[in-house]
Amino acid sequence: MSVDLRPARDGGPPKAAEPQAPRRSWRSRLARFDLKASPYLFISPFYLVFLVFGAFPLVYTLWVSLHDWGLASGTREWVGLDNYSYLIGDEDFWHAVVNTVGIFFLATVPQLLLALFVANALNRRMRSPTLFRIGMVAPLITSTAAVAIVFTQLFDRDYGFVNWGLDLVGIGAIDWQASRGWSWVAISAMVNWRWIGYNALIYLAAMQAIPKDLYEAAALDGASRIRQFWQITVPMLRPTIIFTVIISTIGGLQLFTEPVLFSVGTPNRMDGGPVHQFQTVTMYMFDNAFGHDRYGYGATVAWALFLLIIVFSLLNFLFVRRTGGVK
Amino acid sequence: MTTRLRGLWDASPLTYLTLIVALALSVFPIYWMIVVATRTNDVVSDVPPPVLPGGKLGENVSRLFGTEDVYFAKGLINSFIASGAVTISTVFFASLAGFAFAKLRFRGKNALLLTVIATMMIPVQMGIVPLYMIMVELGWQNSLQAVIVPFLVTGFGVFMMRQYADQAVPDELIEAARVDGCSTFGIYWRVVLPALRPAAGVLGLFTFMQTWNEFMWPLAVLTPDNPTVQLSINNLANAYFKDYTLMFAGTTIAILPLLVVFVVFGRQIIGGIMEGAIKA
Amino acid sequence: MRRGLTTPRSVKGIAVVLAGLLAAVTGCGGDDGESGGKVELTVDVFGEFGYDQLYKQYEAAHPNIKIKQRKVDTLDNYKPRLQQWIATGSGAGDVVALEEGILPLYMQQSGKFVNLLDHGAASMQSGFLPWKWQMGMSPDGKQLIGLGTDIGPLGMCYRKDLFKKAGLPTERDAVSKLWPTWDGYYETGQKFQGKVSGTKWLDGPTAVFRTTVLQNAGSGPGYSFFDKSDNLVFDTNPAIKTAFDTALKFEAAKMTSDMSIFTPPWQTALKRDTFATIPCPSWMLGGIEEFSAGFGKGKWDVATVPGGSGYWGGSWLAVPKQSKHAKEAADLAKFLTNPQGQVAAYKDKNVFPSSPQAAQDPAVAGNTSAYFGEAPVGKIFGDMAAQVKPVYLGPKNEDVRSAVENILIAVGQGKVKPEEAWAKAVEAARKAAR
Repeated sequence: MSVDLRPARDGGPPKAAEPQAPRRSWRSRLARFDLKASPYLFISPFYLVFLVFGAFPLVYTLWVSLHDWGLASGTREWVGLDNYSYLIGDEDFWHAVVNTVGIFFLATVPQLLLALFVANALNRRMRSPTLFRIGMVAPLITSTAAVAIVFTQLFDRDYGFVNWGLDLVGIGAIDWQASRGWSWVAISAMVNWRWIGYNALIYLAAMQAIPKDLYEAAALDGASRIRQFWQITVPMLRPTIIFTVIISTIGGLQLFTEPVLFSVGTPNRMDGGPVHQFQTVTMYMFDNAFGHDRYGYGATVAWALFLLIIVFSLLNFLFVRRTGGVK
Repeated sequence: MTTRLRGLWDASPLTYLTLIVALALSVFPIYWMIVVATRTNDVVSDVPPPVLPGGKLGENVSRLFGTEDVYFAKGLINSFIASGAVTISTVFFASLAGFAFAKLRFRGKNALLLTVIATMMIPVQMGIVPLYMIMVELGWQNSLQAVIVPFLVTGFGVFMMRQYADQAVPDELIEAARVDGCSTFGIYWRVVLPALRPAAGVLGLFTFMQTWNEFMWPLAVLTPDNPTVQLSINNLANAYFKDYTLMFAGTTIAILPLLVVFVVFGRQIIGGIMEGAIKA
Repeated sequence: MRRGLTTPRSVKGIAVVLAGLLAAVTGCGGDDGESGGKVELTVDVFGEFGYDQLYKQYEAAHPNIKIKQRKVDTLDNYKPRLQQWIATGSGAGDVVALEEGILPLYMQQSGKFVNLLDHGAASMQSGFLPWKWQMGMSPDGKQLIGLGTDIGPLGMCYRKDLFKKAGLPTERDAVSKLWPTWDGYYETGQKFQGKVSGTKWLDGPTAVFRTTVLQNAGSGPGYSFFDKSDNLVFDTNPAIKTAFDTALKFEAAKMTSDMSIFTPPWQTALKRDTFATIPCPSWMLGGIEEFSAGFGKGKWDVATVPGGSGYWGGSWLAVPKQSKHAKEAADLAKFLTNPQGQVAAYKDKNVFPSSPQAAQDPAVAGNTSAYFGEAPVGKIFGDMAAQVKPVYLGPKNEDVRSAVENILIAVGQGKVKPEEAWAKAVEAARKAAR
C-alpha cells in the first residue's frame, strides 16, 4: 500500500478477516442480491423523504401556476397557460432575471476563487488551526437579524462605514441603495462574506484527501507552491469544484435573504429598491405570491426559475468540465 | 525526510497574514453582536458605533430568560433536539447514498443522480404552503417532527458526499474489501465512512448550523409557545421597535452550542490533515 | 369567481397517503387549544394593540378562559402567515387583526369568517364611528366581519429646536397657523431650508403622499385609487393627481430626506437632525418616541396637519370560521373593541379609539403627551377624528400605493425625472392593480 498513489486512510482496509471457505450456494446468491439491491436500498431514504415532502410541493406548485389563484382573496380560477404567456412578456420578470444573473456573477466568481485560496492557506500546518477554521465559518453562525443590522450600517448612505472610508480616500460617498450597479456590488459583498468560509471548508475537506506524496514529488522537482496549487490541487479537486459550482449556481439564482436584508429604503422590502434595481427572481416570486396575492403567478415564476436554474447549472457544469481539464 | 520537505506543509508568514485578515473580516459582525449584547439599547444607532463591550451582559441575559412569552429555554432545547436529529440522520443517509452513487453500479444511476440535483433547484419559498398543507393533514403543526422529518436527508448532502467519495475513496480499497468478504454495507461502514470523515464532518457541521439557524419554515409551522431558538429570538421583536440588546444577547447564547458542535465535528476535519501530515 | 374554496379531494388524498407512511413511524401530536379544561383563545396581532391589561381583566372575569397573544412585529411579516392560515384552513388564531389595507382583500372571502352579527354584535353599532362600523360589513350588508379597533387621525410632528434655529415660531398654535394648506407648509419649508443647512424639511415622500391621498379622497369622491366597484381610477381621480403633485413638489425641490417611514434609515434619522417635520397619524407618536428616545427629548411637538381633516391606518378584529371556539372568540373581540376596551387600549399604547364615546372619555380627550412637550394630543387628534370622512380602499390598494411611492422615492434618488414621474406612476399603478 505504501507505494500506492492514494494513501490508506485511518481505518483503511479492514484487517483482512480470516479468509472464508467459499460456500457457493446460498452465500453467493446472498452476495448477488447484496450487490443488486444494496445501491437502491442505500438511496431509498432520500427518495422516500423527497417523495413525501419534495415532490408534492413541486407538483402542487405546477398545478397552482395554471390558475388565477389568490391566497387572501380566495380566488381560484383555471387559466391554463395564461400566466406563462404573461410571464414571457413581463418586463419586470426579465428585469429581475438580469439582476439575478448580474449579482450571481459578481458574487460567485470571487467567492469560489477566494474560497479556494483560503482553503489552500488553511491546509497548512499552523498554530491554532481550530481558531482559524471556526473564524472562517463565523458568518454562517450569525443570525440574519445581526447580519441585517451590521450591513445596513456598513452601507448606509449618510453614516455608513464604507462611505466614510471612501470619503477619507477622496472618492466620495456612493448611494449604495439607489444605483443599480452599486447595489449589486454591495449585495455581492454580503454574499461573498457569508459564503467564502463555507466553500473554503468544503474545499479543505477535499484537499485533505489529496495524497501528500504528489506534492513532495513536485517539490523535489522544484515546482513552486503556486505551480503545485494549479497543477495538483485544482485538478484533483475537480469533483468538489463541480459540486460547489453547481451549489453556488443554485443558491445564487435563488438569492433571497441578502437582497431582502439589504432592502431598507422602500416600504416593501421585496421590491428591491424603488425602481427594482436589485430585485431578484425569488423576491419577485415571493412578492407576487404573498405580497400582491397572486399566488398563481408566483408559482409560474417559481417554475420559470426552476427551469432557469437547470439551464444555468448545465452550462456551468459543461464550462467547468471544459476548462477544468488541466493536463 | 529532508528538512525542506518537512517545511512543505508549514504555513508561511504570508499565509498567516492572509488568514488573519480573512479572520478579522469574518469575525467582526459576531464581535460587534457581542458588544451590543453587553450594552443598552440606544447604542445600536450611535455614530460612531461602540467598539468595546459594556457591562450589561449578565443583566441582559437574565432579562432574556426572564421575559415571558419568549420561551428561550424551551427554544434552546427544541433546537438541540431538532438539529441533532437532522444532523445525525443527514450525515448517515447522505453518506450512504453518496457512496452508492459514487462507487456502486446500478441501473438508472445517472438519471437518479440528476433527480437528486434537481430537487435542490426548487425554490424553497414556494414550497411553504403545500408543505404546510401536508403538515395540517398529518396533524403536525406546532410539533417538533414538522421541522425534523422533511429534512432527514437532503439532496445537498447526498450530492456533496457523492462528489467527495468519488475523489477520496480509491476503487482498489473497495475491491480489496469485497475480496475480503465484506457485504456492501460492511464496506460502507468499515472502509468508506472512515475515508469520508473530513467531508462528513463538514456536512454535519453545516447541517447542524443550517437547522439551528433555519427561520422561515419553523416560523410557518410552529407557534411562538413551542419555538426553536431562532423563533424565540424573533419573539423578542416588538411593535415598531426591536430590543436589539436582548436579541443580540439571545443570538450570542444561541451561538455557544454551535461552537461546541464545531469542536466536535471540527475534529473530524482537522484530524484528517494532521494525520496526513504526519504520515507524509 | 369563488369556486372550489377547499383543497381538491384528490390532492388531499395523495398527501394523506404519502404522509401516512411516515406518520406511522413517527407518531403525531396535535393541540386543539384546550388546556386543563379551560378554553384557550389565541389572538393574532401585529405591532401594538395595547391589549395586555385587557386580557388580564377578561381572564379574571371569565375563569374558564385563557388568552394567548401572538404578536408579529410588522404588517409585512404578518400578512404571509395570515394568508397561509386562512388559505389552508388551519393555524389562525381565534381572533385575528385585519388592517385597513388588507381588510378589503379578506372581504372577498367573507365565508372564511364568522358573522359577528350572529354573536350579538349588532347592539354595539352605536359605539363606533358609523363609517368604521360600515367598513367591517360585507358589501351585501349581511355579515359583520370585523369590529373596529383604532383609527389614525392626522397631525404634524415637528422639531421645536430646529424651528427655533430657523427663526420660525415654536409654539404649536402659532406653528399650526403657518400651514393651513400644503402650499403654506411648502413655503414654510422653503424658509426653513434656507436657514438650517444639512437638515431637510420633511422625512420623505411616503408620509406626505399617504396623508394627502386620504385627505383629498375623503373630502372629494370618497375613494382613492379604486372606485367603489374596484376599477382602477388612478389617472382619472383628481384627488390622486393633486396628492401626487403635492408629494412630487417636495421631492423635486429636494426638501425631503427621501426616506420611508419605519425603515431602518428612517429610524436612525430620528436620532439626528436629519429632518424637521413628519406628517404623523396618532399611532406614529409612540414610534417617534421610541426611536428618537433620549436624543429627541424635549425637542418634539405636535401641530395640526395642513390641508384639513384626514386619517391614516387602523384595524378591525375578526374571528376566522376555523376557530374551535367561535362564540368565546366573538365575545372576546366584542370586549376588546367596546368603548371601555378602546379607552384602556389608548391608555396602554396610544392607539386612538374608533369609538366616539371612547374618544370623549376624559382619559382620552384630556390626555397630554409628556414626550411631545405636554401637547394635548387627546384634543388635537380627537378634533381631527371627529371630522374624518371615510375613504373606500380597494383590495389592491396597498399594491398600488407602494408601487407609486417607489416612483416618488426614485425621483428623490435622481432615478426618475420629475416631469416623467406621473406617467411612470400611472404605469406602475396599472401593473400593480393587475
